[in-house]
Amino acid sequence: MKQDKLLSHPDRISTYFKTEIPVLTVVTITGLVYNIGMLAGPYYEGRLAQCLYDIMNSRATAGDMLQLAIVYLLVIALVQISRAIKRFSVRRFANNISRKMRRSLYNSLVHADQKQLSDENLGSLLTKAISDVDACSEGMRKFTTEVFDTGVVMISYVFMLVHYDWRLTILACLFTPLAYIAAAAMKSKVTAANAAYKKSASSLSALTMDRISHAITYRVYGREEDRNQNYEGALQDYEKKSAIANLFEGAMTPLYDAIAMLGCVMVLYFGGRNVTGTGWVVWNIAAFTTFLSCFTKLAVKTSHAAKLFNAVQKAAVSWKRIRPLMKEPVDDDTDLESVPVEKADLSFHDVTAGYQDHPLLQHLTFTAKPGQIIGITGEIASGKSLIGRVLIGEAGYTGSIQINGRELRDLTSLQRISFITYMGHDPELLSTSIADNVTLGSRIDPDMYLKMTSLDTDLKEMQRTSKDTAGEAGSMLSGGQQARLALARTLSHARSILVLDDPFSAVDRQVENEILQRIRKDYPDRVILLISHRLYHFPEFDSVLFLHDGTATFLPHEEMMRQEAGYRSLYEKQMGEKDDEE
Amino acid sequence: MKNKQRLLRSFLREQAGENRGTLVLMILLIAGSIIASLLPPLVLEQVVNHLTAGQAVSLGLAISYFALIVISDILESLQNAAITVFGQKMTHGIRSALCAKLSRLPSEYFHTHKAGEIASIFTNDGDTIDVLYSDGVVSMFADCFRLVGILVVIFTRSVGLGILLLIAFPLLFLFTRWSQKTSKSAQLDNRRAIACVNSHVPETIRCLRMIHGFHAEKHMEDTYDGYIRESYDAVDRGNIIDSIYSPVILISQAAVTAVMMIFAAGGSGYRTLFGISVGSAVALISYIGSVFAPLENIGMEIQNIQAAGAAITHIRDFLAETEWQKTETRPSADPNVSFLDVSFSYEAGRPVLQDLSFTIEPGENVTFAGRTGAGKSTIFSLLCGLYEPDKGVVSLQGENPCLLPDEKKRHLFGLVEQQFITVPGSIRDQITLYDSSCTEADIEEALNVAGLSDVIDRIPDGLNAPMDEKLFSKGQLQLLSIARAIVCHPKVLLLDEITANLDADTEARVIKALETSAQGRTVISISHRLSQSIGRTRIIEVGKEN
Repeated sequence: MKQDKLLSHPDRISTYFKTEIPVLTVVTITGLVYNIGMLAGPYYEGRLAQCLYDIMNSRATAGDMLQLAIVYLLVIALVQISRAIKRFSVRRFANNISRKMRRSLYNSLVHADQKQLSDENLGSLLTKAISDVDACSEGMRKFTTEVFDTGVVMISYVFMLVHYDWRLTILACLFTPLAYIAAAAMKSKVTAANAAYKKSASSLSALTMDRISHAITYRVYGREEDRNQNYEGALQDYEKKSAIANLFEGAMTPLYDAIAMLGCVMVLYFGGRNVTGTGWVVWNIAAFTTFLSCFTKLAVKTSHAAKLFNAVQKAAVSWKRIRPLMKEPVDDDTDLESVPVEKADLSFHDVTAGYQDHPLLQHLTFTAKPGQIIGITGEIASGKSLIGRVLIGEAGYTGSIQINGRELRDLTSLQRISFITYMGHDPELLSTSIADNVTLGSRIDPDMYLKMTSLDTDLKEMQRTSKDTAGEAGSMLSGGQQARLALARTLSHARSILVLDDPFSAVDRQVENEILQRIRKDYPDRVILLISHRLYHFPEFDSVLFLHDGTATFLPHEEMMRQEAGYRSLYEKQMGEKDDEE
Repeated sequence: MKNKQRLLRSFLREQAGENRGTLVLMILLIAGSIIASLLPPLVLEQVVNHLTAGQAVSLGLAISYFALIVISDILESLQNAAITVFGQKMTHGIRSALCAKLSRLPSEYFHTHKAGEIASIFTNDGDTIDVLYSDGVVSMFADCFRLVGILVVIFTRSVGLGILLLIAFPLLFLFTRWSQKTSKSAQLDNRRAIACVNSHVPETIRCLRMIHGFHAEKHMEDTYDGYIRESYDAVDRGNIIDSIYSPVILISQAAVTAVMMIFAAGGSGYRTLFGISVGSAVALISYIGSVFAPLENIGMEIQNIQAAGAAITHIRDFLAETEWQKTETRPSADPNVSFLDVSFSYEAGRPVLQDLSFTIEPGENVTFAGRTGAGKSTIFSLLCGLYEPDKGVVSLQGENPCLLPDEKKRHLFGLVEQQFITVPGSIRDQITLYDSSCTEADIEEALNVAGLSDVIDRIPDGLNAPMDEKLFSKGQLQLLSIARAIVCHPKVLLLDEITANLDADTEARVIKALETSAQGRTVISISHRLSQSIGRTRIIEVGKEN
């Protein structure tokens, strides 16, 4: 199946019906053939009986019967084949709709603002909406099905009955509304019984969980027997409620059927008079049996008509929840890989930044040229991560940040990400394959970057390949491996400026050394901002940005050691620790 | 393995015996419902035969047709209800047995098995057993009898049709099983794909920053669509089966009807075989319409029975878990708390405690100190009777804690756990743990000592309010834990590092509550910091010599 375009106006229900016109046409044609053809069953069965009667009275021959039986079989086959096609098409229709709705919702999710997501609870709303899609498309399917299977069939049955004997039809159908009245009267009881059952079920499962997860507490306090008795009570309640709910639900169908079938008495009695020639019209056996079986089928259908309304109602409820979240699709085909990497200067000039108008860092000024590595450090909570957040547009700033002379805040998000590649604390891994986590669907060769981050040896040791899954949130990998996979992803997509926030926190020093060396070698023309609390490599860096007291000092390592006591003590402490370790 | 099987089977037999009343009623209803469902076409036969003979249909005959249909409907739904009730009763019995088993398992079991997994034996596997009965064994029995019943009636009317059906049955049954298997495998594939579809959404939310940063929106959409398509294809496969199954059955019905009618109209030789009147032809057509439904059900029921295999294994294994055989050692009757040469290990070969001995006199205040993993918490577990020592004697006021009867435990010792365990129910239940022997005065006193009275007074409905952790701060939950421990006036109070993770202010309140509650009791604690604050304490170092 080809990847089709996202729908415009996904918030109109008609949109979906419109795109499905071909399928719906098939549904309509086969649906009509099937449902009108449903009459053929009773009609021909009546004629078969009549034919047998005629043969016994020597008014027909075995040849007539043969012919009739073959026609009967062919007609039934045609009707049933139409039915098969209709059933399949209706299901495909629902499938298509479900897929399109999901895609539309997902499109608005994946393009949603990070901020919007957390502020407006949009994430959980969308998650719920996506789970509503099934109910909605299922409702649309049922509606489409029932329009034919209930609507068309009922009308054609009524026509057929009226055609045979309109007086008897009215007489027999008089009882049908009673079934509805009875159903309406029972409905609240059925719902109540069902609700009580569900409540009992959920309280039972809560009790089960409590009894098991707190087993030790109950044991220590000597409450085990008491809890077992309590559980027994809950089991009894559950058993009782489920039996009641079941009886109510099961009692409904025979009740409806019985009431609707009251008409049968009329059909048998007055229909019989028709056959014997004392009724309103003159019938033969065929007419009698056809009328009877038509009526029986109508009565059963009638009791199911309520389903039509239920299905529509359910679908409407879920659609109401989904609809406000259906946005016009964002279709952004730009391939970042095809945009060439432009060498870039990065300069901060008197920048003040913070979260929610609360400045954390003030008067930041520094410049980085292509090929330079800047180490950024400071005490815990000195605002190290804030610098990265500012660069990816998640935190605001005043003052000026320029990339090749263009102000950061004036760039579109696409322009921004075509300059800056960011790696945060959280590896944000997908549960897809390891290779996919690196390439993200681009044509990049993942193995090269897995090698660069020494993950290739890890994989070999684990006897796995890059085609294997990374597990839910990377759970198949250790913390250090996750960080390196995130780094591989970052490096493989590296743009002009690389912002690496603590990439080595879970990586041992040996590996850290190797990776850093490779980065220096392979990325000679990029600006690299390396945010870290580990300072081993800071002496090798071109410059250091040391954050302290709400501001920052920008100097090469040697100078910084001389001028900033805070930096010096941080550095010396770490070097000392290292000696301890070894 | 054999033994386990016998265990479950004898258990089930016992269950069925206990529910004999339901069982008999159910069988009667099944029989009644089958017989009743066979009757209406026979009346119809009479009606048509009357008509072909040129006689009128009497009102009585018409009404009896209606009455039989109603009776058969009612009996059928009663039968279904009875089957459900029977299934429920059997499941109830199994769940009671599972619950009783919990009390007999060694404490270790709860540490080595996840609560969710154990609970799933109760809930999911329990439900599967329910299905096994209600939509498996019993209904298969009912459907088989229904099938046989219809066949018998057909044979009395037309031997030819009976033979025709006997030929058609195996073919259609094979087709049914094939359809059900195919659609089941499609369902499984779909479920797998849907799991991916569903987990892709939270994953997207979690990784949104990365997705935006790497411009991977399109890729994520494609991945999502890939999962949807997988599910779509699986559903499609299932839908094909779904769509053709019933039409195939109905066409077969028509074919059988057609063949029967052709033979019935045929030469005299065939007519004696198929020899049917017009009336019985009408009745037979109606039987043919109902003979295939049980066939489809039986296929479904076989599937349900097969699916229950895993659940049966889980339940059987759980019931066969080794139970805790307590050794009947009694310590000397000295009213102190003591360990005498106690050794203990969770796993063989890795001892946690070795030849530990100490004695704590009544009213003493003692703290166990030592590095993490030295066995401090293990000492508490042994004192609470959760484990038995491998060697040596543990004495809690002259009693073996493992052999303490339930009702004595809380009067002898109270444990303040590190983390407050919220139980379902009211705030009162948090303190009493559903023990109705705790008087109002006991509860009030415990709350006073714990310094919680004012907090409870401020809650509308007070103690009777449903418990909600949001009503309490972390420290207040700790105080609730103290109230729970002392409500039965225990002689010994065990404190398990309870001031860990508390801020200074709350800690002060907790310590004050503990100071009050420590009066006149033996107090044994694990937190060093705390015991210093509640007065003079003797320190016992654990695991020092290792």
